[in-house]
Amino acid sequence: MTMASQRKLLPLVDDHNKRQSPDWVRISMASALALRYQSGRFNREFDFGGINLLLNYASGCRSDCSYCGLARTRPGDYEDKSFIRVEWPLVETDDLVDRMAKYEDGLTRLCISMVTHGRAYRDTFEITRRIRSKVATALSILVAPPTLNRERLETFKELGVDMIGIGIDAVTEDLFRRHRTDVPSGGGLSWEKYWEIVNDSRDIFGPWKVNCHTLVGLGETDHDMISLFIELCDRQIFPYLFCFNPEPDSRMGAEPKAPISRWRRIQLAKHLIETEGLRWEHFSFDDEGSLTKVKDVEPFGGVVERAVESGIPFMTDGCPGPDGEPGCTRPYGSYRPSEAMRDYPFLPNENDRTVIRDEMALHEIYPGMATS
Amino acid sequence: MTDQTVSGFAVRTDLAYDLDNHMWVDVRESGHARIGMDALGLETSGTLAQLAFSTDDEFVRGEPFGTLEAEKFVGPLIAPLSGRTVAVNGAVSADPGLVERDPYGAGWFVEIEPTNLDEELPFLIRDEADILERFERKVRQYRIEGVLAE
Repeated sequence: MTMASQRKLLPLVDDHNKRQSPDWVRISMASALALRYQSGRFNREFDFGGINLLLNYASGCRSDCSYCGLARTRPGDYEDKSFIRVEWPLVETDDLVDRMAKYEDGLTRLCISMVTHGRAYRDTFEITRRIRSKVATALSILVAPPTLNRERLETFKELGVDMIGIGIDAVTEDLFRRHRTDVPSGGGLSWEKYWEIVNDSRDIFGPWKVNCHTLVGLGETDHDMISLFIELCDRQIFPYLFCFNPEPDSRMGAEPKAPISRWRRIQLAKHLIETEGLRWEHFSFDDEGSLTKVKDVEPFGGVVERAVESGIPFMTDGCPGPDGEPGCTRPYGSYRPSEAMRDYPFLPNENDRTVIRDEMALHEIYPGMATS
Repeated sequence: MTDQTVSGFAVRTDLAYDLDNHMWVDVRESGHARIGMDALGLETSGTLAQLAFSTDDEFVRGEPFGTLEAEKFVGPLIAPLSGRTVAVNGAVSADPGLVERDPYGAGWFVEIEPTNLDEELPFLIRDEADILERFERKVRQYRIEGVLAE
């Protein structure tokens, strides 16, 4: 048997139209490794159990966001498109659920990512039902707000979904309009509708059961990011951080990622707001909205230093696993294995923390911080 | 027969192997040694994204001579022999999929002029039965580790 035949492990059928949700879904490559659909390994050894599903339609996602690999106007067939830059293998839903049940001991979190499509709600309902019939691992849904309303969110909760994610991505109304509403293909998304779903989800699912995805690198300022972090945390909604990673051939395909120093500082600021209670009085900005200073909450410092030393701020944001640790860790989701880890799918070790300190150059904004 | 299969993985028993690093060596009539990666090593790395080879002319056995990057993994390519570079296969740098399609043929990595062949060749596995048995053992190990598809 050759390598080529070894790799054809995913079930395939000829009829393109049959390989759609709810009977078929795409899964992340990391999920495919964890569930033994594909051979392979991670660059570093760590336990991985966060399974990500993505709805699949021949006609694709109806949205056309400037940065997304699934955007309508990005060249190529939908089935060949990457999402967060990696291939998402297509698998049969029932076989996937069977594998989840088989490997459930190692699973920490399941998540269904909807796409903007007329069938998305109905099919997410059906896939959730199939999962819940055989698998008890905590289940999140990353929702597509245009397909939902309050009643449908309530139905998700009744089905056993415990957390809802909303991909705001662009953190101000102006940026949202630029990247997601005023788009070439039409069918632009509505800032108001996204927030309606955030508000309804918060009502229905409760405190710290809703998360908003925020993307660093779409033209926002540090002030914009911190403003949203504070607003969300005050409402007991998790901000989840993602790093823009240019998708080739997307409208933002030639744009750079955020500099690593900025990315690290934003990770730290979000952690300090979310877990240590820092608010506006602890942050200073220049005229461009860039973070220039972090003030500690303790008179002689310590909170910031302890946060950096813990490594926790630099771990992947994701819905929790059974013990409260990050259960959805998306390894190598926004960087290549050969690149600096933007977020760590495990607790950074001492060597990692040394690298992080160098990358962050925190002494520039926090004079009390020792460099490595 | 030199083309065999072990637990579904292609193996050529006329080659010499450093199975710890999944490298094969083909010592040719010219005295040069062609080097590549075996099918099991490729499979457990995941789908290849990029191959990069060192620009150094000198190879040292046990030292990296390049890197392999797959979707979720990056690791060094470890030289099974010491020597001087004679040729680098640019085709696999341009199309890493070639290695997956033909790991023991067109998917070779580099060709070197060995500088210490007599001393280093005995470290490689060359006996057919030994090759097959050790491949089998590696496959079992990888199944336990969960890095092979089912």
